[in-house]
Amino acid sequence: MFSSKKPTMNSHERPPMCVQGDSGLVLTTDPKPRLRWTVELHDRFVDAVAQLGGPDKATPKTIMRVMGVKGLTLYHLKSHLQKFRLGKQPHKEFNDHSKDALEMQRNAASSSGIMSRTMNDRNVQITEALRMQKEVQRRLHEQLEVQKHLQMRIEAQGKYMQSILEKAYQTLAGEGAMTATGSYKDLQNQATMNLGAMAFPSLQDLHLFNNDQLEISPQLDRPLEDFFPSNETLCLGKKRPNPYSYSNGKSPLIWSDELKLQEFGSHEENLKNNIDHEHLQIAPSIINGGMEMESMADVYEAKPLMLSVDSNGEKYEGSSKVGRPSTPRRATVSTPERMSPMIRGGGLGQTRNLSYA
Amino acid sequence: MGLFDSKNINISAEGETESDIKNREAMELVLDDLPALIFSVGSSTTTTTTVNDDISWDDWPSPHLNWSHEDFHPFFAAAAGDHYFATPPHNIQNQSSSTSSTTTTPEDDPTPPTKFPVESDKTQRLLHLLTAVAEALSGDLNGQYLARVILIRLKELLSTDNAGSGIERLTNHFTEALDALLDGDATFPRRSESNQFPYRHYPAAEVLTAFQLLQDMSPIASFGHLTANQAIIEAVAGERRVHIVDYDIAEGIQWASLIQAMVSRNDGLPPPHLKITAVTNSRRRSASAAKETGRRLSDFAASLGQPFSFRLCRLDQQKRFQPAAVKVVKGEPVVVNCVLCPGQVGYGHGSVTSVGSFLLGAVALRARLVTLIEEDIGAAAGDEKGSFLRRFMIELERYMAIWESLEAGFPKQGRVREMVERVILGPRIIGAVRRAYGCEPMAEECGEWMAAAGFARVELSFFNLCQARLLLGIFNDGYKVEDDASNKLLLSWKSRRLLSASVWTIPTRMSPSPSPSLAI
Repeated sequence: MFSSKKPTMNSHERPPMCVQGDSGLVLTTDPKPRLRWTVELHDRFVDAVAQLGGPDKATPKTIMRVMGVKGLTLYHLKSHLQKFRLGKQPHKEFNDHSKDALEMQRNAASSSGIMSRTMNDRNVQITEALRMQKEVQRRLHEQLEVQKHLQMRIEAQGKYMQSILEKAYQTLAGEGAMTATGSYKDLQNQATMNLGAMAFPSLQDLHLFNNDQLEISPQLDRPLEDFFPSNETLCLGKKRPNPYSYSNGKSPLIWSDELKLQEFGSHEENLKNNIDHEHLQIAPSIINGGMEMESMADVYEAKPLMLSVDSNGEKYEGSSKVGRPSTPRRATVSTPERMSPMIRGGGLGQTRNLSYA
Repeated sequence: MGLFDSKNINISAEGETESDIKNREAMELVLDDLPALIFSVGSSTTTTTTVNDDISWDDWPSPHLNWSHEDFHPFFAAAAGDHYFATPPHNIQNQSSSTSSTTTTPEDDPTPPTKFPVESDKTQRLLHLLTAVAEALSGDLNGQYLARVILIRLKELLSTDNAGSGIERLTNHFTEALDALLDGDATFPRRSESNQFPYRHYPAAEVLTAFQLLQDMSPIASFGHLTANQAIIEAVAGERRVHIVDYDIAEGIQWASLIQAMVSRNDGLPPPHLKITAVTNSRRRSASAAKETGRRLSDFAASLGQPFSFRLCRLDQQKRFQPAAVKVVKGEPVVVNCVLCPGQVGYGHGSVTSVGSFLLGAVALRARLVTLIEEDIGAAAGDEKGSFLRRFMIELERYMAIWESLEAGFPKQGRVREMVERVILGPRIIGAVRRAYGCEPMAEECGEWMAAAGFARVELSFFNLCQARLLLGIFNDGYKVEDDASNKLLLSWKSRRLLSASVWTIPTRMSPSPSPSLAI
């Protein structure tokens, strides 16, 4: 019923007409014949790659040899392998599910093909196909659920971390007031106030492939600028959407590479790079009038510990002994506003915010 | 490929000896993975040796150093003048003739697990030296002397690099760990009893900040927690009370997401009452830390509207878990949670027998679920001989992988990584090296032990697996999660296994009688 040359229902493209050549390869009929990666061909490809020890180990040359398909060139394999590598990880599981669904659909189609002959009832085929599609959708929906829950859980983690951090810094400040010298006290007070405003970065936008209505766009703000020099910002995010997965009709979860950034005062240059993937972006805290913050990085780069007092209130097992005294640094840290994780003045990339509340 | 002829050691007072230069040239090994070079000065007939260019994990000869070998005499003599000591002599043998079972590779795949860029000669040298120390300590008592000598040299090489390359920083931590080992250790063999690590303690705020950063940068911080929590949620669905006994509550971070998950259960029922009993050892510090954690969790739970209560439960003097010390309300399901992060700061109790007693206690408590999160050890326990070296290499590998994973994900954030390495990972390394050195033979993983002891596997749900994959999706591509067994998820970085989370239950017929202990 379903010709293997025609695209299946799951395919998301509208591919051009294809012909099957002598070598068994399916090529398109447009002016410049392109290779069409049919499911069979792709399966052979996957097998070959598996034989060679995985996509990282396989090379186009070796794959070509192993597959032994006439007419398959290195270029075909190079690009396909690259896509495969990129696409393999993030949506591998979706691949599997969708593949299962594909299988189911095809089986359903063929079996209903048989049925149609005997029962001669078109509706049956359609019902079967619909059922399969429902199955696929159910799976996708489940994954969505997982994603939502995961996000909430990670946020909860972050909230909790923040609260215990605040308490830790309050304790720090408290002790500091008691025994430290003047400069220490300054430092600690600043530290408390700066770090008290830290918030855990939430997940980036999650864009479900071709389901744009499902945008969960949490906040990303993290005024850890205090700790680190402004040129070292961290951006939580992933690569740009996976092109391979688009073309396959599979629907992975794609992380938007638009990262939310805070634009404050003198820190614009950090934000130029915001599209850069895999950088954990920490938003600087609000600076009064762009006043330069001497970063806590100074504190850290000299590997010192800020306090020389001994702690009795530290609760962290085993690490609560405050270490050796270090040279006090006078940090001219500005006092940021106490920030709630949700509110941002201007500069927000995405408008939809998921608040911690 | 050149070779290093030990007879050519020309000990001069300063600068590089000619053997140094030779050695350096000789070491143009194209190693882009962990140096699996074992130094063996084995036979006295070898004045020249060949080098196996393709040294891989497959041919990892067993180390045997003949300390009385004449080649070593100059080094012992020159120990006083430590800058004579360039690099230890090593004849890299093609394939050691007598190999013990330590040649079994940690991994099944033929390629080394981590491709860590060995950037320079210096890097190679550092790693070689590190391995040499470990090897020295694997031997007999005399080895300590040599170990100290090599450590001095190492520290020399590292002294200038406070913010050196990744490997340099890693080596620094391991050097520190070995140092701490030797300093704290008067006798051999040693029992890792004390929790007082002789290294700097960081203020809680710094540790927490670093941990938060680690959570942002790597899934290793959350993977275990989330997996265990999901399994717990599924196991207690519909219950009105839940009682969790936690072996090492630390800061309680694991439970934040559980509390959240409980209040957002969409089964229409109000959230169950959550009671957490934290196990502490008998020291006052441990108890007060746990209490504080309990307070914080209470506050957090209250903020979300989750009914919550908190208890403590002390280990006895021998650090064994006494089930009777836990107050169980009749009818409530008990979940036993065990997160083993052996090197973690504040890891109070973790000896093998203690953990074993805890897990067995689950049987006595008729726990509905036992969740176990542990570091993956790799291959099965080897034999006694050279076991420290073996375990040391495993830890070195592990942390190399972690280093690499952080660097891969955040290549430009060197300062951040350095901080996390220093505050979180460094102490873990110290602890891990201590544990590796401990007298106890390398215990098998708890998971394996549990299977052997009769615990039943609880299959992990699709939700759980999906969640883990989604979590990994946030981070760099190199992470993989796979289901190692029906009840176990394994997190690895580029085929280097890092962490596993497994879920178990008590089969009804299992009786709370003592089972074979973990330690042999």
